[in-house]
Amino acid sequence: MDPIVACRGLSKTFGKGELAVHALRDVDLDILPGDIATLAGPSGSGKTTLLNMIGALDKPTSGEVSVDGQPLGGLSRSQLSELRLSKIGFVFQSYNLIPVLSARENIEFVLQLQGVSAAERHDRAMEAIKEVGLSGMEDRRPGKMSGGQQQRVAVARALVSRPTIVLADEPTANLDSRNALELVDLMGNLNREHGTTFLIGTHDGRVIEHSMRHIEMVDGRIDSDARGST
Amino acid sequence: MIGGLKTMLPLAWRNLWRNPRRTGITLIVVAIGMWSVLFFNAFMIAWAQSSKETTLQLLLGSGQIHAEGYMDDPSIDALMHPPDQDLASALDAPAVADWTTRVVIPGVIQSEYKTLPTTIVGVDPKAEARISSIPGKIAEGRYLNSSDDDSVVLGLHMAERLKTGLGRRVILMSQNTEGGMSEQSFDVVGVYDADKATEDLYVFTGRAASQQFLGLEGEIAQVVFVLKEEIALEDTVAALAAAAPALDVRGWKDLNLFLASMDSYMGVFIHVWLGIVFALMAIGIVNTQLMAVFERTQEFGLLRALGMKPRRVLVMVTIENALLIGVGVLLGMVLAAVTIWSVRDGIDFSAFARAMEMVQTGEIIYLDYEMDAFLLFPGLIWLLGILVALWPAIRASRCSPVEAMRRET
Ligand SMILES: Nc1ncnc2c1ncn2[C@@H]1O[C@H](COP(=O)(O)OP(=O)(O)O)[C@@H](O)[C@H]1O
Ligand SMILES: [Mg+2]
Repeated sequence: MDPIVACRGLSKTFGKGELAVHALRDVDLDILPGDIATLAGPSGSGKTTLLNMIGALDKPTSGEVSVDGQPLGGLSRSQLSELRLSKIGFVFQSYNLIPVLSARENIEFVLQLQGVSAAERHDRAMEAIKEVGLSGMEDRRPGKMSGGQQQRVAVARALVSRPTIVLADEPTANLDSRNALELVDLMGNLNREHGTTFLIGTHDGRVIEHSMRHIEMVDGRIDSDARGST
Repeated sequence: MIGGLKTMLPLAWRNLWRNPRRTGITLIVVAIGMWSVLFFNAFMIAWAQSSKETTLQLLLGSGQIHAEGYMDDPSIDALMHPPDQDLASALDAPAVADWTTRVVIPGVIQSEYKTLPTTIVGVDPKAEARISSIPGKIAEGRYLNSSDDDSVVLGLHMAERLKTGLGRRVILMSQNTEGGMSEQSFDVVGVYDADKATEDLYVFTGRAASQQFLGLEGEIAQVVFVLKEEIALEDTVAALAAAAPALDVRGWKDLNLFLASMDSYMGVFIHVWLGIVFALMAIGIVNTQLMAVFERTQEFGLLRALGMKPRRVLVMVTIENALLIGVGVLLGMVLAAVTIWSVRDGIDFSAFARAMEMVQTGEIIYLDYEMDAFLLFPGLIWLLGILVALWPAIRASRCSPVEAMRRET
């Protein structure tokens, strides 16, 4: 099976000279379709930095990332936007919904950017809302929802564009236990039912337990990469 | 792009109301600026118009005819005969509302206390009343009765300076046709109340009486005419000049250069004002919008992370700015329209009018909606506002998508 994401010799250094921080050191990583992988490691080990590289949000100092066989190296800012829009779904720690839009409008927003027609947008957004268990809340704005509900909207937004991979950075860090578990269940179900590929940066044990593949990072390097069964 | 606009417009509109205080401040700044430009423009135009009309009505008329050379040296040697057949029929054209002839000669006026330079004006009182506003400005006594009336009407301020008044006598002196001085005493029968500059200069007596005093045989200094419509000025001047090729025919613009240049002064003034208002508004807009962009750095990062292209972010923020400034401009237009409407009965300007020495000002000024200004200035301010707001918009489009991932709670 061809990997969805392939990182080769990936390094990222912030700053120069004495102040240089080597956030990633020579990382090789393949993510296969249908993986639900967790990226763990102590704070500062480079999880966010690696997700940023894979998500085409930031450029590596050296090495190469390919998404769906497409190397990101030579792409312009505009082409990178296009790639994120069509291939990558994001879930952030702080939900990052657009505050002036309702749940449904937030989900529809990416489809708007993709140029999907209004009718189809509506249907797909409503289906995604149902899928994340928020039926009936589609007209609420983020400010009127709990953290758990907001994060579900974020998951729905990440999924609705049918991305190649969903990248989630500490998605449960702001949630209480119950909401965290529900979110983990949700991602597990989506993975089983639709084969959605997840790469989740986290140091939350509850999330790690549920993963099929567990990657540990230390000091910008991949320390271990193990497949287990759940 | 159009589809993009349709989806971005509601988003932009809602974003405006996220920080009502800041949006409110920007709206007020733009609205007040817009209001001041429109109101001052209407006011200046109305004031200029009223000044012009008042000045023309006072003595100037729409235009005048003199003998060649009189305008350079208005002396007894530069007089003309009353209109001949050709000129008279040209003056009776439908465009001309009325006309009359005057003797206008420099001289000296003397009371028992003082001697002052003056301009002696001999008029036909009946015709004069249809052309000039001075017969209607008598403060004390009466105006002249007839062309033969050999009494005088003085300005209020001149009467004060001469320490003379009704029932007293003054002496007028002027060069006569023989090269000597004519000197004659006149009864003061009336005092008129205009502006100081006019009051200090002109003394009125009957036309025939002045001709007799100066030893003239029917000669006059000027024909003054008033038009029904200002529009006809150039054509009428040309027609009169053709009917009297030996004479010097001029419209008011060539008789009173200050008045003629007032329109362009007003234009310069209003554009300088527009520039100042715009500079202040630009500072306000750039300031508040830069702050807004700074506060929303993470959000713009999110939009970029979700796959919005930088140019699209720029368009979105520009739509927000266009809405914001547009609403402010509309508000200013409404304010200006309401202000102008609220003074539809005229602004009493008499106190200020008295203080003005250089120009005649109407006592009541009537503002009018200047349609051109109501379209041009708001459009200009809107476009320029959007243009300066491009700076914060470009800043927004450059927000890094990494910002969205950065931990922030
Ligand atoms: N923009 C940046 N500038 C400088 N240093 C950075 C930047 N982003 C991350 N780092 C550093 O890179 C290292 C890895 O950070 P990060 O990827 O956020 O780790 P994690 O997500 O595992 O906690 C840390 O030492 C962090 O301080
Ligand atoms: Mg992190």
